[in-house]
Amino acid sequence: MLFGASIPIMAQQRLITGTVYSQDDGTTIPGANLVLKENNNIGAVSDIDGNYSISVPNDAGALVVSFIGYKTKVVPINGQSNIDIRLEADLQQLEEVEVVAFGTQKKSSMVSSIETINPAELKVPSSNLTTALAGRLSGVIAYQRSGEPGADNTNFFIRGVTTFGYKKDPLILIDGIELTATDLARLQPDDIASFSILKDATSTSMYGARGANGVILVTTKSGNEGPAKVSIRLESSTSMPTQNIDLADPITYMLQHNEAALTRNPLAILPYAQSKVDNTIAGTNPYFYPAVDWQKMLIKDHTTNRRMNFNVSGGGKVARYYVAGTYNQDNGILKVDRRNNFNNNINLKSYLLRSNVNIDLSPSTEAVVRLHGSFDDYIGPIDGGTGMFNKVIRANPVLFPAYFPTNENTAAIQHILFGNAQTNDGNLFLNPYADMVKGYKEYSNSLMLAQFELNQDFSFLVPGLKARGKLMTQRRSGYDVSRFYNPHFYAASTYDKFEDNYSLVLLNEGSATEYLNYNEGETDVEIVTYMEAAVNYNKTIDEAHEISGMLVYLRRNLLEANAGSLQQSLPFRNEGLSGRFTYGYKQKYLLETNFGYNGSERFHKSQRFGFFPSVGLGWVVSNESFWEPMRRSITNLKLRGTYGLVGNDAIGSASDRFFYLSEVNMNDGGRGATFGQDFGYNRSGISVSRYDNDEITWEIDKQLSLGLEFDLFDEFQIIAEYFTRNRSNILMSRASIPTTMGLSSTIRANVGEAKSSGVDMSVDYNKYFNNNSWVQGRANLTYATSQFTVYEEPEYDLWYLSRVGNSLSQQYGLIAERLFVDDEETYNSPTQNFGERPRGGDIKYRDVNGDGQITNLDVVPVGHPTDPEIIYGLGLSAGHNGFDFSLFFQGSGRSSFWIDPEATAPFIQRETSTGNSQAGLLQAYADSHWSEENQDVYALWPRLGTEIVENNVQRSTWFMRDGSFVRLKSLEFGYSFKDSLIKKAHLNRARIYFSGTNLFTLSKFKLWDPEMGSNGLGYPVQRVLNLGIQLGF
Amino acid sequence: MVPDNVATIDNAFTLRAQAEKFLFTCYSYLPREADVNANPAFTSGDEFWFYYPLEYINPRGFNIARGNQNIVSPYMNYWDGSEGGQPLFRALRDCNIFLENVDKVIDLEPFMRDRWVAEVKFLKAYYHFWLLRMYGPIPIIKENLPVSSSVDEVKVERAPVDEVFEYIFTLINEAVPDLPLKIQDRAAEMGRLTQPAALAMKAKIAVTAASPLFNGNEAYRNFTTADGDPFFNPAFDQAKWDSAMVISKKAIEVSEEAGHQLFYFSNFLLDLSDSTITKMNIRNSVAERWNAETLWGSSNSRSRELQRHAMLRIDPLRTVNQQVRAHLAPTMRMAELFYTENGLPLTEDKNWHYADRYEIWEGDEAHKYYLKEGYSTSALHFNREPRFYASMGFDGSIWYGQGKTDDEDTWHIEAKLGQTSSTYGTSGYSVTGYFTKKLVNWNFVIQDGQNYVVEDYPWPIMRLADLYLLYAEAKNEVEGPSAEIYHYMNLVRERAGLKTLEESWDNHAINSNKYKTKEGLREIIHQERGIELAFEGQRFWDMRRWKKAEIVMNQTIKGWDVFQEETVGYYRPKTLYNPTFSLRDYFWPISENSIIVNRKLIQNPGW
Repeated sequence: MLFGASIPIMAQQRLITGTVYSQDDGTTIPGANLVLKENNNIGAVSDIDGNYSISVPNDAGALVVSFIGYKTKVVPINGQSNIDIRLEADLQQLEEVEVVAFGTQKKSSMVSSIETINPAELKVPSSNLTTALAGRLSGVIAYQRSGEPGADNTNFFIRGVTTFGYKKDPLILIDGIELTATDLARLQPDDIASFSILKDATSTSMYGARGANGVILVTTKSGNEGPAKVSIRLESSTSMPTQNIDLADPITYMLQHNEAALTRNPLAILPYAQSKVDNTIAGTNPYFYPAVDWQKMLIKDHTTNRRMNFNVSGGGKVARYYVAGTYNQDNGILKVDRRNNFNNNINLKSYLLRSNVNIDLSPSTEAVVRLHGSFDDYIGPIDGGTGMFNKVIRANPVLFPAYFPTNENTAAIQHILFGNAQTNDGNLFLNPYADMVKGYKEYSNSLMLAQFELNQDFSFLVPGLKARGKLMTQRRSGYDVSRFYNPHFYAASTYDKFEDNYSLVLLNEGSATEYLNYNEGETDVEIVTYMEAAVNYNKTIDEAHEISGMLVYLRRNLLEANAGSLQQSLPFRNEGLSGRFTYGYKQKYLLETNFGYNGSERFHKSQRFGFFPSVGLGWVVSNESFWEPMRRSITNLKLRGTYGLVGNDAIGSASDRFFYLSEVNMNDGGRGATFGQDFGYNRSGISVSRYDNDEITWEIDKQLSLGLEFDLFDEFQIIAEYFTRNRSNILMSRASIPTTMGLSSTIRANVGEAKSSGVDMSVDYNKYFNNNSWVQGRANLTYATSQFTVYEEPEYDLWYLSRVGNSLSQQYGLIAERLFVDDEETYNSPTQNFGERPRGGDIKYRDVNGDGQITNLDVVPVGHPTDPEIIYGLGLSAGHNGFDFSLFFQGSGRSSFWIDPEATAPFIQRETSTGNSQAGLLQAYADSHWSEENQDVYALWPRLGTEIVENNVQRSTWFMRDGSFVRLKSLEFGYSFKDSLIKKAHLNRARIYFSGTNLFTLSKFKLWDPEMGSNGLGYPVQRVLNLGIQLGF
Repeated sequence: MVPDNVATIDNAFTLRAQAEKFLFTCYSYLPREADVNANPAFTSGDEFWFYYPLEYINPRGFNIARGNQNIVSPYMNYWDGSEGGQPLFRALRDCNIFLENVDKVIDLEPFMRDRWVAEVKFLKAYYHFWLLRMYGPIPIIKENLPVSSSVDEVKVERAPVDEVFEYIFTLINEAVPDLPLKIQDRAAEMGRLTQPAALAMKAKIAVTAASPLFNGNEAYRNFTTADGDPFFNPAFDQAKWDSAMVISKKAIEVSEEAGHQLFYFSNFLLDLSDSTITKMNIRNSVAERWNAETLWGSSNSRSRELQRHAMLRIDPLRTVNQQVRAHLAPTMRMAELFYTENGLPLTEDKNWHYADRYEIWEGDEAHKYYLKEGYSTSALHFNREPRFYASMGFDGSIWYGQGKTDDEDTWHIEAKLGQTSSTYGTSGYSVTGYFTKKLVNWNFVIQDGQNYVVEDYPWPIMRLADLYLLYAEAKNEVEGPSAEIYHYMNLVRERAGLKTLEESWDNHAINSNKYKTKEGLREIIHQERGIELAFEGQRFWDMRRWKKAEIVMNQTIKGWDVFQEETVGYYRPKTLYNPTFSLRDYFWPISENSIIVNRKLIQNPGW
């Protein structure tokens, strides 16, 4: 199609053709307006593919090209007949409007602290959006502890954590609807129109009781008027652990297990006889003398994942649409066994479908219908990926082989001959291989969301008055089911050395099956209904006074079908009225006040409603006339500050529905009794699991935020903010209640107080060069500290025991001096009161209070908090002539974590649902531990043992590690094909790119990925290498 | 959503059926006395020893025996309810809630209400007694403090032990009249409290109060309240023994009135030797369900698991059955505690081969109901009283039961390394070479595979023989030797297949006048208790109240060398452990945290 303007045909006309592109992402711009500079009667509009064609006089000098959202550009003709035009986005214009609570606001008139990110920055080669948050958004503390598909959500907190209730993470609103972190994780950056983080009181107080931990606001795209525009993205990636756990080899395991038994008890019966050790070393018969590398047996080096995303948008005069679909497939890194006819590697498929339709019912009435479905289908091992990783390092490598091969005696047997051995209790051991291949778990989760919104402009009655109503329902459902057979376990017995054969004994004749059983897991059904009504008013008086106001009423109702108890089964309701008033004078002086008035059913009548006001002031210095001389260099300078109250009713635990009601278990089997000749008369007992308390009420957060924004030369944009938060009324257990009171549950009260403070800042750099090149940089830093100001604790005589003044995630532990040199030294040292008397090679702690005993009174604050206090990121991208390149570093600082000494303790036998596990031996421990031969008092691991040694697993500085790291979080290299090449394929855009995440990490900690913290034995964080293609037509 | 009709504690006291649940709740806190994991008397004293680390169970109390008790998280913590202990202060609060509210129940007949109240009052007394026996002075929980009490109000103080005893007696005295003499509805109520149970326990508590640990204990002179009053009255008070004697006698009278009597085995289907029948009399006085001797049996703590820890693999064809663990291994001290066949201590019997006791002898015809004929075993196992053979098993001893009902053809134990009853892997064995036969009901069957059948019995918290011996002890402390004491002692000895006290000592003893002096008879009664009540969780507390724990718990724990395959090697006494016991070990430490929370609590001496 060609929108040619009708102009008189004149002599010496010439035709100029070309395409209009966006300089940012290379997409074509349909509908761009082109006019001749000399005569604006001569003009053209680019077509759906961005192509234009214009007839101009021969002597024409230049074209003026304009499109909304882009800077108008003057293009000299210079006699050319084919001119491609690249328009630069007008950031001023694009960002003019920002999404705020229940609406939008002009950016220039905002005083509150809102962090906005270009959704394109959230594109990472992962099916989990939350993995992109760390370091990209100032004010967000984020870390990822696991890489398991479906369980790899990042933990994220806005401006740190200032509470210790069950909900510490922000409120997540997608198109105004409260959703979960997993729903956020499934969002596609391609579908996001805006992504903002509300950080201070002014921006969040309208959410009243829900806003104290900050808010994440996301809106999805709507269609624009115009012909259908299709965009497709395909990605295929290879995923592998950033680092694997290094386990000792089977021979070392066996020798050190023997050492562990003997070193604790010289009378001990050795776990492995010498003949077994010798034969295993000699490799006599790998089935009778097994030496299994379970890691290799069960886990692959890498896996491949696929992602596909498409969207179509467009519309006519009456209606506009945006329809998007996504299909992601993530696989785990578990091996699949060909002996089974089912695949039990993790396979998580997620599908999304989104349809946003805007309909103009009348010139002043718009209806919006948003339908969204999100579906996860999962198949994986019965205990999940983390469960499998845990099993690998909880399996004895020398007791039994994974399976026995069939020979002539067993050829007729249909099932796999899994290996196993009997424990001393007559139970079986855990065979991780059998556990993995014996069956699989399926789960499906669905979320359906239907939203109807009506926007009415009442300007015809009162100019500037608008109203909006919104109705939403959300249905969430999910189930899981496992199918599995009970493996047949065999042990090898009576080995014939000369024939090199052995006979097999079936160990679990009674319980093994060749057919599948199944196990129904949880079924969840959840229904949410939501309504919202709002009016707002905007008016500018005398071009100097800008006034706006808004009132919102909302009501949310949540019902859980399988809640588990009467109180939980009752509908959860939340109700509130909120308002906003803003005033701006000549775009220089800005005032904003907000309030939220909320009811929460969790509290007694007298405490039920809370009022949360806030106020903010701003001064745009650069709009003052005295700034005129500076305006060339500092193009924008704004000072702003806000102060206000926000509440939090998500305190205690989620199961504390009604604090003012007692919770009594009228049929407590644990408190029952039995009588009678044959013990036949049983009655269960009665117990109180919560005492009623009328006094319990909100947490209140008093937030102060001071911000400074300035732009340098239109290239650097710098925002720096300082904040403090004072949280009071934190619900805590009364520490002063002795057990002699005989209470069956703790008494709590709103007594705790905490504060946090910190800085978050970001620097953006944008530069476009004339030769189709551009550079962008972005750096940001979040520093958030917290401390208890009032903490319910006993009156300690020792100052260091008090938590007041320390961070909320400050850990307390003993100071480990070194390992004891020998048993003798333990008798001459302060008594260590943890389990058995320590021996040489056990950890020696410092007697801080000098009372001759090591007890809980010697515990001091150790290390940094477990939540990092600093998160930072540095990104750089550049493009030239179709090539683009970006990299992003992310780091984390000031955090500590602890190697879990119980989880990593070697040789420990534990009962599990599928047999006794026996802990593996980390290579690092095998290499460095105290032994009678090598009495290294600074070894990594203390004296070995076959049981948990209570003394050594106390929280102490011994196992404390520095959690800080810097990593190359992502790297991307792309190329957009020249138009001339793709035009034939009717494409207007084609880009291929290669990207990677977690490519390398710098950290002092070497045993596993430092970001996993103490969770290192789980499913590792993944490194991903990705190849993608984007097409538009 | 703001709900109505949500259950509150008031719902527990509107109707009888709900209130009964609350009554049962009060019972539910009774310490699990038959549970190796919960009763320190099994694991923290010198009756049993265990290999370590134990598999399958982890009795916290064994750490106490091995000197690992601590203040950070004390083992068997019945104060806070952790590490194997029941939360007894919660129990007291629930008892008080019951007593405060039971009048509100509209459909509860007054006579039944009175009985329930009496039961709960007794339980309240018993819980106080448990705490007292473990911790010494304790806070008395007469009434509940409201949940809204101030920080200062909740800081209760420990009361001197005499006050606690007094309060316990007050409660029991209030309770006894409204308790039934005996249970009428046996099908539904066996195990509920009766007058004989309450009075017999009162006797035990009174004897405890009169015993040296609590009566005139000089060692705790400096252990005082904040006001300087000693928690333990350092002056000996003879009146406590007088009162204990009267209380015990009363308890005997009421028990006999209710039909309780010493147990004698009878089964007309079996044709058994007298030796076997005597052994059955002894074994089943404990291990037969609700036998006439049981004054208070705990139907809430039964022996099923305990029997598995006592029983051993005895059938050579069923050695893979790991349901039986043989964990409860009596120490050699216990083997030497039992009398000779003449009813005398090993060291007192001039006819017994004391000097040769570690020789190896071969089983003969005379011992054929006790040990395998022709099987070599220690001379220590010859010419002993029937209670020795009935209570303990050893390499070569006969184990009647496990499906073999003819006592001419029975199982016997073979426990040397590699034999049927030896180790299974690295566990499931007796670390001393002795086995606890008394606690295993003779109808036990180890089946093929992992199946086993066991006849469950309620744990006898109190039985008549115990009461007789309590009376004898108290009477001796009051008056010295008397015919009445001999009478009750002889009732017990007669059932054990022994001659009378007088006959035994007159005819066979080295010091034949010992039983005629108060001090001598005291020792004899102490040993008689140790033997008669062996393995029943009594010795642990007896040694403490007699203040003898500091002697016996500082002596070496021994057993046979069970990892030997040959007889000669096996029968060498082997030291298993050298325990230490000091003054502080008589009582449990209060956890450090409890002291921090309530500064008014004073820690026990030495902790």
